[in-house]
Amino acid sequence: MRLDLRLASFCAALLFSHAALADEPLPQRWVSAGGSLSEWVVALGGEDRLIGVDTTSQHPASLRALPSIGYQRQLAAEGILSLRPDLLLGSEEMGPPPVLEQLRSAGVRIEVLPSKPDLASLERSLRRMGELLGTPESASRVFADYRQRLERQRQWIADAQRSQKAPGVLLMLGHADSAPLAAGKDTAAAWLIEQAGGRNLTDHDGYKALSAETLMVLDPEVVIYADRTQKGAIDPQALLKRNPALAATRAARDGRLLALDPTLLVGGLGPRVPDGLAVLSAAFYPSAQALTAEAAR
Amino acid sequence: MNPAVHARPLFIALGLLLLLALWLSLALGPVSLPLQETLQAALRLLGLPLSGAGLEQAELILGQIRLPRTLLGLAVGAVLALSGVAMQGLFRNPLADPGLIGVSSGAALGAALAIVFGARLGGLPEAFAPYLLSACAFAGGLGVTTLVYRFGRRNGQTSVATMLLAGIALTALSGAAIGLFTYLADDTTLRTLTFWNLGSLNGASYARLWPLLIVTIAVALWLPRRAKALNALLLGESEARHLGFAVERLKRELVFCTALGVGAAVAAAGMIGFIGLVVPHLVRLLAGPDHRVLLPASALAGASLLLLADLVARLVMAPAELPIGIITALIGAPFFLYLLMRGRS
Repeated sequence: MRLDLRLASFCAALLFSHAALADEPLPQRWVSAGGSLSEWVVALGGEDRLIGVDTTSQHPASLRALPSIGYQRQLAAEGILSLRPDLLLGSEEMGPPPVLEQLRSAGVRIEVLPSKPDLASLERSLRRMGELLGTPESASRVFADYRQRLERQRQWIADAQRSQKAPGVLLMLGHADSAPLAAGKDTAAAWLIEQAGGRNLTDHDGYKALSAETLMVLDPEVVIYADRTQKGAIDPQALLKRNPALAATRAARDGRLLALDPTLLVGGLGPRVPDGLAVLSAAFYPSAQALTAEAAR
Repeated sequence: MNPAVHARPLFIALGLLLLLALWLSLALGPVSLPLQETLQAALRLLGLPLSGAGLEQAELILGQIRLPRTLLGLAVGAVLALSGVAMQGLFRNPLADPGLIGVSSGAALGAALAIVFGARLGGLPEAFAPYLLSACAFAGGLGVTTLVYRFGRRNGQTSVATMLLAGIALTALSGAAIGLFTYLADDTTLRTLTFWNLGSLNGASYARLWPLLIVTIAVALWLPRRAKALNALLLGESEARHLGFAVERLKRELVFCTALGVGAAVAAAGMIGFIGLVVPHLVRLLAGPDHRVLLPASALAGASLLLLADLVARLVMAPAELPIGIITALIGAPFFLYLLMRGRS
């Protein structure tokens, strides 16, 4: 009996030490190539590990102070090595492949995480980041919270749609003064509009310029401007003066012109997406009681 | 016209400049390696069994990142400059550049095709997929140049003027096709296309290097054999013919060498402007129009200039990198203007 116990504890110790050996030391110096990945690292409490980010990592603003490794698809091996990173984090878009190969042979760990805008990809990414940060529980908590917020959002939209039809929405990308590009049906913008309970009106691919006549034919109920230079709310008077065709649409008549931070449109499901969706849905369904960020939690 | 500089001192100076550029390109980078470590790592690469702290990292940076990149820069710079000389000789115009016979726009067209539609092909064999872009760029350059040459042929004669005009027309046509692809492309492909058009020596590896090295060596050995014929061509086509040179064959060889050289360079490093235009012009100002000097001196100067430009490209924004085409244009264009102004006074 005693022997059995000793044997058992020995086995347990063996098991433990084996598990400890299998655990590599956690990477301490991180380089992140991908806007929403960097954002998630910060959200999971790993900002102090980041020593470099790519040009798409613009949020939170504190990341812009870090050394820039350039565009995520045009990384340079020696530049990244000069930061002495343990880990390079990026999406499938990261490249070019020969540079990743050079980095790998120099001993940099490379983690390619999925960036598709679906919850399964996000869950896998967050779990991996949690493991790498050494805080898997808090990462799974963050994910559960995130999923719950999106679920409430969906519920709220279903409720709101009982009293109001889904509005037709057009999202314009770019400077409102020049000819902005309308988001097509396969874009992240269309995905965002549909998640917020709107109906994307376009049926082209990608982002294309729209003629004034097409704009009048589509006659959107809501127009969203995603303009990098836009700070704060839109001044409808000035906008309509510059875009006369817009004035003939229902959106302009009803004053439903919205501003959206264009960085929400890149890099899949970032931490700011639920808040952005809540704002959009509130504008899509003005008569329903707004689902504030606090109420959603 | 008397050359400002005699051939021998010019070659010595350009040789020293190239050695300096080679050394700087190997010794400097975003990762700062001490001189001693660089030397030791270089010796290790040559097979000496040295060991020391951090030497493996230094050897990797030197052997796998800087050396292939330096060789790529050497080859691209030399072959672009040589092609520039060939074109300026063929068109008997110091403002000619390899783009005139459509090789650059053809390569850009091929690359745009590969970038925009490559992903849709999908079923490519694993081994070929990384080379799709290079292969398409090379094929595009060669294809459009062949067309331009064909348009220039009439009754067994090649009219250089017709070729020039056909080159302009086909460049415009390629531009329209590229514009259409740009319109069809999504955001990420668009950025890839933009970056490709600015050129870069980034991500050089031995596997991608050897086709270009072979082409460069072939062009660098072949063109100087035609130096006398090129000199005779300066007098005019019929004069060269009366002097006993096979002018039609010469034209064919020049076009072929340029298409091959520029095609391979563009396939390996993207579009890099100004080297093919400025370098031969500059060397001609220094050494006169004798192609026996002009050809090798341009190769040396082109390689040095590209290596130095690449050094700027990878250091100035480190740890990020600038596309090298920006640097060559930024240095090349004002320098060219300076030469023009100086020549006038």
